[in-house]
Amino acid sequence: MLAAISTTLQTIPEVQSAVAAGESLFLAGSREALSQLPAGNWIGGTIPYFMTEQGGLLAEDRIFVTRVPEMALSVKTAEYGPENLASLYRDAPAHGFTFVVLPAGTEVLKTFAEKAPSFDGFLLRPVVGWVAGVRVDKIGKEAPVVFNGKTSSVFEAKCVALHVTLPASIMADMDIVNIFESQGGDVIRFEESGFQVTNCQVNGKPVNLAKYITEKGIPTEFPLVGDYNGSNLNASFLNVDAAKGTVDLYAPVFPGVDYRFAKPVADYAGAFADTLTSGKEVPAFACNCILNYLYGKLEGKKTGDITGPITFGEIAHQLLNQTMVRLYLHDMA
Amino acid sequence: MIPAVDHPIWTQIVTGKKPVQTGKLAINLLAQGNKINYEKDSSPANVKLLAKRTHDFFIQYEKVFAAEFAKILS
Repeated sequence: MLAAISTTLQTIPEVQSAVAAGESLFLAGSREALSQLPAGNWIGGTIPYFMTEQGGLLAEDRIFVTRVPEMALSVKTAEYGPENLASLYRDAPAHGFTFVVLPAGTEVLKTFAEKAPSFDGFLLRPVVGWVAGVRVDKIGKEAPVVFNGKTSSVFEAKCVALHVTLPASIMADMDIVNIFESQGGDVIRFEESGFQVTNCQVNGKPVNLAKYITEKGIPTEFPLVGDYNGSNLNASFLNVDAAKGTVDLYAPVFPGVDYRFAKPVADYAGAFADTLTSGKEVPAFACNCILNYLYGKLEGKKTGDITGPITFGEIAHQLLNQTMVRLYLHDMA
Repeated sequence: MIPAVDHPIWTQIVTGKKPVQTGKLAINLLAQGNKINYEKDSSPANVKLLAKRTHDFFIQYEKVFAAEFAKILS
């Protein structure tokens, strides 16, 4: 059985009232919208794209609200930079979960993406959230930011967290919906982790990845799919520069993981609808990727019954790409 | 019932002798992390550390993943 949690897209005055009423909130909205909120028990990050009950939506005058359920025993906000990010897990409750939001293109995101799996408490302390971004026509012109409502602080280079302690009978767990699967074929491995790749091994032979992609004419709107013991985790392409021989990714690749190119998906909304069968349990929180929204032309299209922010990266324990993340609170009583 | 931390099952899981096959993300991230760590360092000290982490994970998620753990531990 699942514990209920409320998530909705709301107007700025509605969210102002909720903050003033003392509710603990995890928020997603434009900088202008979030800047109008009073101090209170909330964290948030910039993003103006949402999955709504009517379909994908760009809205700078609305805020997506995830309410921490009333049964939570305690809620604490915190801020982290690259230097103390390992404390995220030490500060996380022994029983509960942590909402987190990190700004895109920052050192703290890079640190989280590359090092979170090695931090003490990884997996034992569930961390769920997303990467803040901006309207796509403002990329490079405006910085994504995150907010700690408790201290009325805005950060371009830190992450903020909401540590939520739950009663012993409630357990947090996440799952992912990845519409991409491996197309089979060549196995790609990397010797180092990182967001930028030059050389790799293709079926055990050294190859320049940019050259390989260019020569084979591989479409880069579809990600590399890493096989994590049967779970497919994506690393999406930001840029392939054949002249420089570099490939930039939205999430790091890791040594010891077998990657393959994804099978192309023509109908993203249809692929989500096929996966998100109706009647499935409603998640406590969900987010989806801006690349799915853009490449899949999801504006106005539904992704099942799931609502939430559409983000510049998704977090379910670790950074993910082109993936829907869902948080569930299981009532074990 | 989750076996004690010194039970050989944890070493078998870490070294891949006991396969972990499931559709659950957290379990697969644990298994993949064990695989990568073990390939890097197969010393008894590291295996013991990974075995403890695996045991702690099973304790933490005993109720949520009861069916999956029963299959893995059978």
